[in-house]
Formats: sequence, C-alpha cells, structure tokens
Amino acid sequence: MPSPTLAGTGTLLRFAVRRDRVRLPVWILAGAALMATQASSNQRFYRTPESLAAYRASAGSNAASIAFSGPPVGLDTVAGTVAFEISSPLVLLTVLMAMFTTTRHTRADEEAGRTELLRSAQLGRHAPLLAATVLSTLACAVMGLAVALAARSTGLPAGGALVLGAATASVGWVFTGITAVCAQLTGVTRGVYGLVGGLLGLCFVVRAVGDIASSGLSWASPIGWAQATHPWSDDRWWPLLLPLAVTPLLLLGARRLLDSRDSGSGLLQPRPGAEEAPPSLGGPLGLAWRLQRGTLLAWGLGVTLLGFVYGGLAESVKTLLSDNPDAQVFFRGNSTADLVDSYLGVTLRITALMVAAYAVSATCRARSEEAAGRAEPVLAGAVSRSGWFGSHLLVALTGATGLLLVDGLATGASRAMATGDATDLVRLAGAAVSYAPAVWVLCGLAGTLVGAAPSAAVPTAWTLFGAVLVITLFAEGFDWPAWLTDLSPLSQTPTVPAEPWSAVPLLLLVLLAAGLLALGLTAFRRRDLVTN
Amino acid sequence: MNSVISVSGLVKNFGRTRALDGLDLDVRAGEVHGFLGPNGSGKSTTIRVLLGLLRKDAGTVQLLAGDPWRDAVALHRRLAYVPGDVTLWPTISGGEVIDLLSRLRGGIDPRRRAELLERFDLDPRKKARTYSKGNRQKVALVAALASDVELLVLDEPTSGLDPIMEATFQSCISEVRAQGRTVLLSSHILAEAEALCDRVSIIRHGRTVQSGTLGELRHLTRTSVTAETTRPATGLDTLPGVHGLRATDHRVSFDVDSDHLDSAVRHLTDAGLRSLSSAPPTLEELFLRQYGDELAAAGDAGLTESRR
Repeated sequence: MPSPTLAGTGTLLRFAVRRDRVRLPVWILAGAALMATQASSNQRFYRTPESLAAYRASAGSNAASIAFSGPPVGLDTVAGTVAFEISSPLVLLTVLMAMFTTTRHTRADEEAGRTELLRSAQLGRHAPLLAATVLSTLACAVMGLAVALAARSTGLPAGGALVLGAATASVGWVFTGITAVCAQLTGVTRGVYGLVGGLLGLCFVVRAVGDIASSGLSWASPIGWAQATHPWSDDRWWPLLLPLAVTPLLLLGARRLLDSRDSGSGLLQPRPGAEEAPPSLGGPLGLAWRLQRGTLLAWGLGVTLLGFVYGGLAESVKTLLSDNPDAQVFFRGNSTADLVDSYLGVTLRITALMVAAYAVSATCRARSEEAAGRAEPVLAGAVSRSGWFGSHLLVALTGATGLLLVDGLATGASRAMATGDATDLVRLAGAAVSYAPAVWVLCGLAGTLVGAAPSAAVPTAWTLFGAVLVITLFAEGFDWPAWLTDLSPLSQTPTVPAEPWSAVPLLLLVLLAAGLLALGLTAFRRRDLVTN
Repeated sequence: MNSVISVSGLVKNFGRTRALDGLDLDVRAGEVHGFLGPNGSGKSTTIRVLLGLLRKDAGTVQLLAGDPWRDAVALHRRLAYVPGDVTLWPTISGGEVIDLLSRLRGGIDPRRRAELLERFDLDPRKKARTYSKGNRQKVALVAALASDVELLVLDEPTSGLDPIMEATFQSCISEVRAQGRTVLLSSHILAEAEALCDRVSIIRHGRTVQSGTLGELRHLTRTSVTAETTRPATGLDTLPGVHGLRATDHRVSFDVDSDHLDSAVRHLTDAGLRSLSSAPPTLEELFLRQYGDELAAAGDAGLTESRR
C-alpha cells in the first residue's frame, strides 16, 4: 500500500494524460520531425569527404556555431554533424515541453483553484506533484524514443540514435525537477515560467562559454552533460548518470518544499502592496507599463548578460581559428576581422529572435488581460478601445526596441573593451537596433490577430513566431527555397556588421509593421469584448 | 421624468445563440432600478451592451442621452460599474486598484474612499491575488461608490458578501439614492431588490416580461390571507379569485387575486372576524409565479434551462 499522501496519483495521472492528449503528441512529433529533417539534409549535403572537411573547418572553428550548438566533436562523420547541429534545438524543445507540462499540472492548476477542488476529494497531498512529474518524465522519455527512431529511420546508426535520444530526454528530466521546485517557490504560474526560463538561459550560457573556452565549465550545465555523451562518435552513456542522480534529488526537494508551504501559496510570500496608487498608475498606459515592467526588466537583465557573453567570446573566434589548420585553409580569403563580424552578425540575429519572442508575448498580454476579464473594468472607465490596446502595443514595441538597444550596447561594450575601439560600441548598437523593424512586424502580426481573431490569437501568434524561428535558423542550412527564407522579417534585415547596412528593406518593414498595427487597432475597435 | 437608460427591442446574438431577444428597459433619473432574472437570462449581456463592451445587433439603446457604443469614453466618465465576477490584477494592491479605477472615471473623493474602506472593512494593502471573492467585490464596490458619478451600474454586486456587508451595501445604496444618483442593480437576490428598488424589470430568455414599481407588480398578483372567524366561513370557494383554500372549523387561509381582496374580506366579516393577517406577495413569490410555468415545464421534460 503506497503512502496515503500519494492516494489518487494513478487517477490523476490518467486524467492528466487525457488533458494533454493533443499537446504532448504535437511536441513529440515536432521533435521527431526536426530530427528527421536535420538527419536527411545533412546526409545529402555532406556526402563527399571534401564537403565534410569543409564543414568541419568552418563550423568546428566558428565560435558562433559552437555557442549555439555544442562542443565540436565527431565532425569527421555525417552523423557527428547531425548530433552537433540538432542537439541544442532538441534540448530546447524538450525542456520547454517539460516546463509547460509540469507547470500546467502543478502551479497553474493550483493558482486556478482546481487543485483545491480535487484535494477535497480522496487525493493525497503529494499526488498532484507526483502525477505531473511522472507525466512530464514519461513525455520526455517518449520524446527521446521518437528522436532515436526518427534518426534511425533516416539511416543513421542505431547506437548513436539511442544515445542522442536518451541525452535529449535526460535534460527534460532535470528540468522537470527544476520546474517542480520552482512551482513550490512562487505562487504565480507566470513566475514559474520566469524562474525556469532564466535557469534554462543560464544553463545555456554556461555551456556555451565552457564549450568555446574548452574549459570544464560545460559540466556545470545539464545541457553540457547531455552533449558530453558525444552521440555517433564516442557514444558515451556514463555522463547520463549525472541527470539520473540529480533529477530524483530535485523531485525530493520539491516534495520537501511542498510540505513546508500552504496549499495555494508559494514559499515566497507576496509583500503587502501600497495603500494608494502612485500618480503613474492613472491610465491605460500606466497600467500596461505596471503589468509588464517586471517581465521587461527580467528580459533586460538576460539580454544584457547574453550581449556581454557573446561580445566577450568574439575574441575566441581568432583563437579557435589558429588552433585549426583546416579552417585556416578554408577561410584563407577572409580576414579574421570579417570572421569576427560574421560571428557577431549571427549572435545579434539570434538575440533579435529572442527579443521577437518577448514582443509576441508582450502583445499577447493584451489578449490574456481581455480573456481573464480584466479589460472590462478598464474599458468601463473613460478609456477608448484604441487607448487600452494601443497602450499594450506601445509597451511591447518600445520594450522590444529597448531590449535590442541594450543587447547591442552590451555586445558593443564588451567588444570595445577587447579591441579598444570605441566605435565598436556604436557600430554594434546600431546593428542590433536594425532588427527593430523586423521585431515590430511580429508585434504587428500578433496585434492583428488579437484585434481580428481574439479566440485563436495567442496560439496562432506563437505558431507564426515558431515558423519565423525555424525559417531564420534553419532555412539556409536545409537549403530551403529563397522565397521561404524571404517570409521571415528577420531574414529581410541585413546581418550587420557582416553585411552592409541598407535602409530600403528596413523602411519596407516599418511600413508593413505600421499597416499591421493599424489593422489590429481598427479590428479591436469594432468587435465585441471576448472573455473566457 | 427623463430616462437615464432607455432600451427598446434590443437584440444580441452570440453565433447562433440569441442572448437578448427584443429586450426593453427604462431607468429613470434618480431611481434605484432592479434588473431581475435567473442565471443566464441576459442581465450581464444587457449591461455589457450598455457599457459599449458588446455591440448590439438590433434595437435602440440610449444611455445618459448618448450612444453607448459610439460615445463610450465620454459616457463612462459619468458612470461607475461593478462587474458580477470581479477579476483583478494579481500583483496590484486593492488600494491601487481602487485609485486606478476611479482615476479612469475622473477622480476620487479621498475622504469618502477612507470612509468606505472602513465601512467595508477592507485592507487596501493586500495584493489582489490574496483577496477572496467577497473582498474583490468590495474593492470594485469601494471604487464605484467613491467615484463622483451620476449612474452606478451594478451587476450582482453582493453575490460574495456576507450578511453584515450586505447591510452595509444597502445603506450605501440608500445614501446614493438620497444624493439623487441613479442605480441599475442587477440581482437575483430578491430580498435585496425588495429592500432597495423603486422599480424593477424582470427578464427571461432575453426579453422583458414585467416592469414597474413593486406596488404595480403586486397588483397583478395574489395576497395571502389567514383569518379566524366566530362562525365557520363557508362559501369562500365560490368567490371569484380565491385560490388554495384551506379551512378548518374556525380558521381559513387562502390566496386571493388583488382585485378580489375586498369581496373576500367582506365575506369573512360576515362570518364574524376574530383575527386577520394578510401579507402582500414577496418579490420572491412574484418571481416564482413569473417562472412557475417554466419550472413546471422543466420538471415535466426533465430539462433545465441553459441559455446565456
């Protein structure tokens, strides 16, 4: 007989599976599809030893690709290049799946009051936590299996496929544990996502610095543990002992924390608020700013850190090159300054993608306010529809622009410190801000959706963002047709400083963004308010 | 008397569901108007149309002599609204919400704010996340009552309040009426409407079925009478308008249509009246009568109503 605090876990788990019967297969199929696409396209591209050697020379010594992918190991086989390129995206996907699944069945249910209703029945104190973490763990395992099968189906060796699958699942398990702990700390679902997202970013950066500097720092990150398995080259299983040891510890820790808090609240108690509103909280703009400033501040810190790290790593582009004789042949036509610029161009573009994600989420905040019924009391005041929606859009647009500027300044500052050339600061800040029109277009798309199709707006906006992300990151590597690449507003922006700056595409993007925003505002003015 | 709210033939559809089906509503300046109906009869939908949050499909709607959709911003400066289900921003304190909402309407009287916080026993420093349903409702009520506006639109404002707070609310509304302001009070708590309202409109399936003062509505219904007489009162059952007669030797009780009350009482006097008690119908009885056929139909068919 299991402990009474676990009573009802089985029932709850079956119910959770039923609630997620569409979501989880979608995540897992996305992982398998990503794996299969990468595996088959690499096998097409690097068929000859020459092409493989060229790839090894370029990617294996490119700090940007090491920063985003992982340690440049096993690049002498096609399968090795697949593992190098796909492990980070797979890990990201699996961690997000684990985070959303675990949070949805723990803190989100508790915050909405659903857990209380269930707990009043014959359900043990620990049952919801156990059911949620078991569900997430199983989902990660199935994701790993799907990844292995997808890789095997394209003809890659089975041994490495299993190692990559297990490594992918292992990061998901660790983050299931991390999410379970964070869900006890804060009483707000949004806060859990913030904490876990921040930790994920930290794990990613620690690993990137470790891989580029070839120091042992990567062992401080669960992503580093997974990538230390070296699928298809060394096929090492032993690094996975680390996640297997750490995950149960995290889960036990989460249980301890659950026992030391009240149902419905987090360990971090909210402080009492102000008795009276500050003068700034007097209109729709003040309210939108108040609601979004915390998130924006956290993003600002993250982007600043990222800018400093990526800018600081630019110097190692040269070191990597001098270590690699193949690469020196490959890059003979280019000066090292060009290589550094191309590295910086890629890092700024990746950060711009993240800022675009912020912009989409900040725009969708208007919709979640409306759906929760919190737009109603404001619009029942002397506030126009455009005033309310426009305030959220304004926060999203200026917030995203500010983040780009901060990223550019941080990258530029750390670069200027290395080169002693102060113009680097201005040059890189300008390069980062050049992405603003592209990011505004994504704001505009999300805004149009919120205005015109409120019920479907949030999932559709994120699907569009996902498409832009995939196109921007993979279109070139997968050799997709040019018209598809052109669909991403970020691909329309020149990768300054690697490419020359050009005003025409940026002006077109600004016009497009303005048109979309106007469309969204007009549609919102004309429709009924829709609450859930 | 001029109308503050004047609605006629209002129609609102949600997809294929018809939520409002030719609704009429007339609220006069300075009155407390009860807006009554069971769950899902269209009270909140009507209020949202009045606030310009939803767009009407047909009919005419006038609010404070303006068009609630077109003139929303200007009109909202002159009214305060308490939603039926108050959702607040979890990280913002109750005091801040009160200030925000009243600033959106054009200012707050700080003395009145402090007094209302005291009367409703509300801690303004707590974050909205930690408030119970009743406390969230108090936040919205304090914000509305402290605002200097002509019209209060209250959608089931007391559904989460305890009896003590309910009494506080009733005294606040009486003060509002004394100041000459107008109140539209949607409710299904009939005792509350009975205590507060000058006139009521009863709606059902998105349509107004009755409207008038309580006196007028009562006139259309029955009074219950219980009497003791020296001689057995016979022949009551032959009188028109008498229903549900129960008689023992010297004691009778029955319901009588209001326009036949006079003849029934005369008949009792003839039998030597010893004691008489008569009660006008409560709003509850009016309401049940209005919906009685529906309840009966629902019982017959084993169905319950589910309309928005």
